[in-house]
Amino acid sequence: MNYFVKANPSRCIGCRTCLISCVVAHEGKRIFEIDPDGYNFNPRLFMVMTAKVSAPIHCRHCETPACKASCATGAISLRGNVVAVDTNKCIGCKNCLLACPFEAIEIVETGEILPDGSPRRVALKCDLCSGVADSPSCVKVCLTDTLELVTEENLQDSLTRKREDSVTALASLG
Amino acid sequence: MFKTGTETNKIIEVFPVQGRTNDDKACLKGWYGWDFLNDPQILTRRIREPMIRKNGKGSPLEVVSWDEAIKFVADNLLKIKETWGLDSIIGAASARGPGNEPNYLTQKFMRACVGTNNIDHCARICHATSVAGSRQTIGEGAMSLSIPEIEDAEVIFNIGYNAAASHPVVARRIVQAKEKGAFIICADPRVTETSRIAAIHLQLKGGTNLALANAMANVIITEGLEDKEFIKAHTKDFEAYKEIVLDYPPEKVAAIADLDPEAIRKAARKYAGSKHSVILWGMGVTQFSQGVDVVKSLCSLAMLTGNFGRPSTGAGPVRGQNNVQGTCEMGVLPDVFPGYQSVTDPKIREKFAKAWGVNSLPAEVGLQLTRVPEKVVHEKDLAKRIHAYYIFGEDPAQSDPDLAELRESLAQIDFVVCQEIFMNKTTQYADAILPATSWGEHEGVYTSSDRGFQRIRKVIEPEGNLKDDWEIISLVSTAMGYPMSYRNTEEIWTEMIDLCPKFTGATYEKIERQGSVQWPCFNKGPADKGSMYLHKDGYFATPDGIGIFKTAHYHSPIEVENKDYPLTLGTVREVGHYSARTMTGNCRTLRNLEDEPGWVEMAPEDCAALGVSDGELVKVSSKRGQVISRCKKTERVKKGAIYMTYQWWIGACNELTISTLDPVSRTPEYKYCAAKVERIPNQARAWKEVANSYLAIKEKMGIDQKAVSQ
Repeated sequence: MNYFVKANPSRCIGCRTCLISCVVAHEGKRIFEIDPDGYNFNPRLFMVMTAKVSAPIHCRHCETPACKASCATGAISLRGNVVAVDTNKCIGCKNCLLACPFEAIEIVETGEILPDGSPRRVALKCDLCSGVADSPSCVKVCLTDTLELVTEENLQDSLTRKREDSVTALASLG
Repeated sequence: MFKTGTETNKIIEVFPVQGRTNDDKACLKGWYGWDFLNDPQILTRRIREPMIRKNGKGSPLEVVSWDEAIKFVADNLLKIKETWGLDSIIGAASARGPGNEPNYLTQKFMRACVGTNNIDHCARICHATSVAGSRQTIGEGAMSLSIPEIEDAEVIFNIGYNAAASHPVVARRIVQAKEKGAFIICADPRVTETSRIAAIHLQLKGGTNLALANAMANVIITEGLEDKEFIKAHTKDFEAYKEIVLDYPPEKVAAIADLDPEAIRKAARKYAGSKHSVILWGMGVTQFSQGVDVVKSLCSLAMLTGNFGRPSTGAGPVRGQNNVQGTCEMGVLPDVFPGYQSVTDPKIREKFAKAWGVNSLPAEVGLQLTRVPEKVVHEKDLAKRIHAYYIFGEDPAQSDPDLAELRESLAQIDFVVCQEIFMNKTTQYADAILPATSWGEHEGVYTSSDRGFQRIRKVIEPEGNLKDDWEIISLVSTAMGYPMSYRNTEEIWTEMIDLCPKFTGATYEKIERQGSVQWPCFNKGPADKGSMYLHKDGYFATPDGIGIFKTAHYHSPIEVENKDYPLTLGTVREVGHYSARTMTGNCRTLRNLEDEPGWVEMAPEDCAALGVSDGELVKVSSKRGQVISRCKKTERVKKGAIYMTYQWWIGACNELTISTLDPVSRTPEYKYCAAKVERIPNQARAWKEVANSYLAIKEKMGIDQKAVSQ
């Protein structure tokens, strides 16, 4: 099963520490040393705040990813437990954006300049920090423990617990 | 908490530590709010050398030696003191990086060396209201409970306090409390993260807090829910209080505050229904012209229901800046010495005079910093004016209300000293700039909002010709004929605690060993670990131990919406930015999250009426000025009310705010003035103006644009 980061909106305080942690993880700590305008601030998760809800939106790393199916260049693939975008192959066609049911993908500037002088744009989304950190950075920094990495194991545990709770509740009804 | 590179002398990694209030966690400013130390010159630049205007006002700032700068400051202050008298000088100290020890020295300098009680700090513009209101009712101007205790409250009455934006670490405790089953009542004109998880959201009209607090007391008394035993044993003046609140039935208040009377009743019953009810408040209570009355009414509400003197109960004014609690405690207020000991008490004056080696100390309460304009631009008699302003770690030209009036005052004051780490809006008016070390570059003690003394440590060596704040103050004082000589912050701390009975037990050694010591802590021995909560068993900190019921009749804010300015403007907080933003505005990622020109939160109905959309630049104005900001269309605010945060330099909302003050605490009414928003047809040109303004600011702040872009 693919893993994903789940947000609990009743714990989220909308502080967006997770957004910064995502950029720091992917750009590296060098950003605190270099020219303040020498990197792109492109978080791979998005904060949603309405009158009723606050929570970040991440890629769900679907089992049958609509983004992968829609990709014109084969840039989206399954790598381990992660649905990943190969930015070298991505041409920024936006099919994945339209296909994603969670609006968890964005087209961003990479900082590279194309031969015609225009900035290169590619699809960007959560990669669960694979290759850049041991575990998702957003989960690590979250002050209120809003975020949780859902793996096959802990999902199973949670389901088992919930089923047991329901049976207990039913039993108490007599 | 910080891992530093010993070779590079820079912080390279952050690890939150297990502390009493943060509990192994850090907020975004903890994780990412430190790279300003490396001076990235995003908004402004670090000051590395002493500078003075040798040839008077209007002449350029010139880099000089410390000896020359100290002599220049001392000579000018002495000259002003001789010409215009002791009270022509005022000092403002810092609730931010410096820590308690330099603040203690600053008030000692003003009182013992200059000879005036004109010493104040930014508590004046935030929680001075809470200090005044709480001391008049329960005797102590601090949170009665501790931050960790919030988790175990059964009822939280959260009024005018947006923890998620102001103190994420406290917001976490509120979330935990909710999960442990707390019933949350949130009184706030906006939807906040707290109101979202509240069982009752009293979305009142701005400026009606007192009517609501009185109405809750009205319900409690008329329904017989008050704690009669507690009232009898521990309080006085209940009858006078009752007489006032009986005038505020829920129906009447519902009409004033735009609320449902049944919701007020339900909230009051719930609040009175537990002995673990906690009130938390912030600037939404204190920054009104009737703020002190609201604080008194809230403290009375807690007394009315017997909610004092046990764990997880009481009154919680959650303080704004990292060390604003401490700066109050150090006596950086015009009416009290360190430890809240009154300047009008001859015995206290004698004690301090003896300890400080002077014959006498000034007996009159000094001037509050919000009254500087009154004593400069509005004072015709030169002999009664303020002629020198010693500003230590503050930026009044950004943080005070009605900035045009404030700038005019700074320009007219004969001699302005800034003891600072960054160039800021106020240093533009400085005749002398004394460069200090920052947080992270020096030792000391901060006091957390819940009375907890904790050590701060030097993690990197300061670069440049800087000095510790306490050293600078000592040099100026010595040059003015009142010698001060200390080897380190611990010596200063020891002198202070020995003069303040409530702090005497909090030695460096004990703070170090325990991690934190909460006052009162009377004895130096290990048995006295300090106090988790105040007013134990209902014995208040008033002289006779009895709590005093107080409230007042409600009146509306001073400048209300009208035909020309049909909206109400309140100033609020941005979670990633701190204070006047010289520090966080120079942190790369916090700047990425939010930057100029900031936002003006507007209700969708108001956006539609004006034809403006989310993200569009708009002109916001009041009788006092106008600024450019970006429209943030949000269902979280009510129609007719707009909100801006105060740390933007282009979208500076304090150009618009009113300098009307609470008559007791002299705190400005930042939360309410009349304003209007106008559409800007040519957006492209407006964005260009914003970009140009930002460049101009950077240039003014001394940033070398070429060096930065390379």
